[in-house]
Amino acid sequence: MRKVVTGLLLAGFLFYVGSLLAGIFLVDAPEQPRIVGSTILAGAEDEAGAANTVTSVVVLYRGFDTLGEVTVLFLAASGIALLFGHAGKAKIKKGNAGPGFILRTGGRLLYPFFFLFGLYVIIHGHLSPGGGFPGGVIVATGFFVALLTGDRVNIPEGWFALCESLAGVGFIGLGLVGLFGEAGSFLAQVFPLGDFGSLVSAGIIPFIYAVIGVKVAAELSGAVGRFYTSDEGETL
Amino acid sequence: MVNPIMLILIPLLTVFLINLVNIKWPKFSAGLSFLAIALTTGMAFTLLPEVMQAPIEVVIAGTKAPIGINLLIGPLGLMLSLIILVTSLLVSMYSFSYISDERKGMYSGLFLLLIVGSLGMVMTGDIFNLFVFFEILCISSYILVAYQRNEHSLEASIKYLLLGSIGSLFLLISIAILYRGLGTLNIADIAARVGELPPSTRIAAAAFFTIGIGVEAAIFPLNSWLPDAHSSAPSSISAMLSGFVIEVALVVLIKIVFSLFAFAALFWLLAVVGVVSLLIGEFAAYRQENIKRMLAYSSIGQVGLILFALSLGTEAATRAAFLQIINHAAAKSALFLVSGYMIIRTGSYQIADYRGIARRMPVSGFVFFLAVLSLVGVPPLFGFFSKFSIVMAAVSSGSTGATVLTGLVLLGTVVEAAYFIRVLQHFYQREPAKAVTAARSERGAGAESSIEAPIAAMLPVLAFALFLTGGVLLLGSITGLADAAVQDLFARLVSVLA
Repeated sequence: MRKVVTGLLLAGFLFYVGSLLAGIFLVDAPEQPRIVGSTILAGAEDEAGAANTVTSVVVLYRGFDTLGEVTVLFLAASGIALLFGHAGKAKIKKGNAGPGFILRTGGRLLYPFFFLFGLYVIIHGHLSPGGGFPGGVIVATGFFVALLTGDRVNIPEGWFALCESLAGVGFIGLGLVGLFGEAGSFLAQVFPLGDFGSLVSAGIIPFIYAVIGVKVAAELSGAVGRFYTSDEGETL
Repeated sequence: MVNPIMLILIPLLTVFLINLVNIKWPKFSAGLSFLAIALTTGMAFTLLPEVMQAPIEVVIAGTKAPIGINLLIGPLGLMLSLIILVTSLLVSMYSFSYISDERKGMYSGLFLLLIVGSLGMVMTGDIFNLFVFFEILCISSYILVAYQRNEHSLEASIKYLLLGSIGSLFLLISIAILYRGLGTLNIADIAARVGELPPSTRIAAAAFFTIGIGVEAAIFPLNSWLPDAHSSAPSSISAMLSGFVIEVALVVLIKIVFSLFAFAALFWLLAVVGVVSLLIGEFAAYRQENIKRMLAYSSIGQVGLILFALSLGTEAATRAAFLQIINHAAAKSALFLVSGYMIIRTGSYQIADYRGIARRMPVSGFVFFLAVLSLVGVPPLFGFFSKFSIVMAAVSSGSTGATVLTGLVLLGTVVEAAYFIRVLQHFYQREPAKAVTAARSERGAGAESSIEAPIAAMLPVLAFALFLTGGVLLLGSITGLADAAVQDLFARLVSVLA
C-alpha cells in the first residue's frame, strides 16, 4: 500500500516537474535579442582588444566573477590543506618495487614539456582558446606526472603558498590600478591595447591571465601535493 | 569618498596576505584579520550618510550594467553589511583566545572569506555574481564547520556539503532559465523585463531559486543540515552562521522574490513555511539536551519568525523583521560565544552538566540570561521591540490567515521561553554539577575559584549584551536605517501577481 502511494505521489511529482521543464526547454524561447551577448561581440575588439572574445568576457567584462571563481578554487585548496594538512602526515605507500627505470626516465623526459605547453597556453590566452585556467591545470599536471613517476621534485616548504598569495595579491593589485587610475573602476582596461591579434596586445588581459595561471597551477599542485606530504616537509 | 567595492576587496586582499604571512608567522594572522575587519567596518559606517541619500552604483571593469557587473549599495545592502561586519568584528576578537591551535592562521583566512561571501551577496547587482559570492560563502562555511576534524564535525560538514551543493545547483539552473529567456544577468534589467517570460518559465525560475537559496536560508524542509552543522562548528563560527549567514540568505531570497517573482501565492507559501519552521524549531529545541543543538534549533525557529514577518509583505512587518534580524544577530551570537567557554571549561555539551555554572562564571551566566530574555522578547530589552512590532504588524495586516499564523507564532514563543527558562534554572542552581566543580581555568582549580572566560573573549560578549540592553536608546537611528531599507526593498516591488 505504502509503495503504491509513494509511486503515485512520485509519478505526480515527476509529471509536474516534467511539464514545467517542458515549458522551459521544449517551447521556443521568446524571440529576444541577446542584448548582452551581441553588445559584447560588437564592442569587444575596440574595448578589450583581445582576439579571443571569450577571454575578453572572462577576464574583463566578467572579471569580477573570475576573481570570485579564483577565490573559490583557493577555498577548495585551503579546505584540503586544513582537513588533510596535519592529519597524521600519513605517507602514501609506494609499491614494493617503486617506479622502474623506464617509468622514471619517461617521466623526467615528459614533465618539462607539460610546463612548456602550460606556459604557452597561459601566455596565448588572449589570442587562442586556453588561458590561465587550463594552462594552470596543465602545469599542475606536469607536477603530477613527476610525482606519479616517482621522481622526487623538491619544492621548498611554503613555495606554493607564496606563489598563490602573490598571484592573488597581483590580481587585486592589477584591478586596483584601474580603480585608482583615470578609469576609476575596478579591473578596467587601463593599459594600451597594442596591435590586435599580436602577442603583445589586449592591454591588461594577458597580465591578469598570467596571474590566474600562476595561481591555478600553484593551488592544484599544492592540493595534489597535500596527499603525498611526507615527514620530510613538502616534498613532491 | 570610499568606493564601496573596497568593502569586498580589503578582506579579500587580506586573505591572500594572511596566506603569505602563514608561511612564517601564523600567529600574526588573527591580528591582521581583525585589523582588516575593523578597517572595513569603519569604511562601511562612513558610507552611511551618502547611501541614505541615494543608492550607490559601482561600475566594474569600466563597463556599464547590464553588459558588465555592477554593485548596487542601497540602505538594505548597507544595513546588512553593517550587521555582518559588526558581528564579525566582535567574533574575531573573541577568536583571539578561543581559537588557539596550530591551524589558527588558516582559520583567520577562511573567517574573512565567509565575510567576503556575505558582503558580496548583499551588495551585488548581478545575479550570476550573486551565485559566485554565494559559492564563496557556502564553501567557506563547509570548511569551517569541519574545522575541529572530529567525527561529528566531519559528518555535519559532509551533510551540509551535499545539501548545499544541490542547493547551489538549483540556484544555477534558475539563473540559466532567466538568462535563456531574457539574455541578461543584471538583476534590475531582469526585473524590468521579467514580464516578457511565459508564466511557466517564471514559475520554474522562482521555484528553483527559492529551493536553491532556501537550503542556505534554512527554510523548512530544507534545513536538516543546520542542527548538525551549527552545533559541531567551533562556537565562534556557530555565532557567525546563526548570527548573520542564514539571515543574509533569507533577505537575498526575499529581495529577489520582491523584484522578480512577486507571486501572491509564493508570499503565502513562505509565510506558512516560516511559521512551520518556527514551530518545528522551537519544539525540537525543547527536547534537546545538548546546549549547542538547542541553540541551533532555536535559530531555525527564529529564522522561521523572520521569514514569516518578511513574507507578510507589509512595510511595518518588514521593518519589524529587520529589527528582529539585528536582535537575533546580537543575542544568538552572544549565546553561542558564552556557551563556547562553558563547553571548554566543563568539557561537556550537556545542559545537565552546567548545574550551578553561573555561580562560577558569573559574567557569562548573566550575559546568557540577558540574551535569552532579549531573544524571547522581554521588555525593556531590544528583542521586545522587534518581536512586539512583528506581532503588531501581523495582526494589523487585517487578514484572518495572518492572525491565525500570529497565534501560532505566540505559541512558539511560549515554548521558546519554556526551554530557555529550564536552562537558566540549571545555571543558577545551588548544587553544582560534577563537571562544574571539576572545571579548572588556566589560573588553577578549586571549587570556589572563578572559571570565567578570559577577558579578551568576554569583551565582545559584553558588547553584544550592552547592545541588547542599551540598543533601545539607539532605536531611533536603527529604525531610521531599517525604514530606509524597507523603502529600498519596496521600491523593487512592481506589483504583486495574483
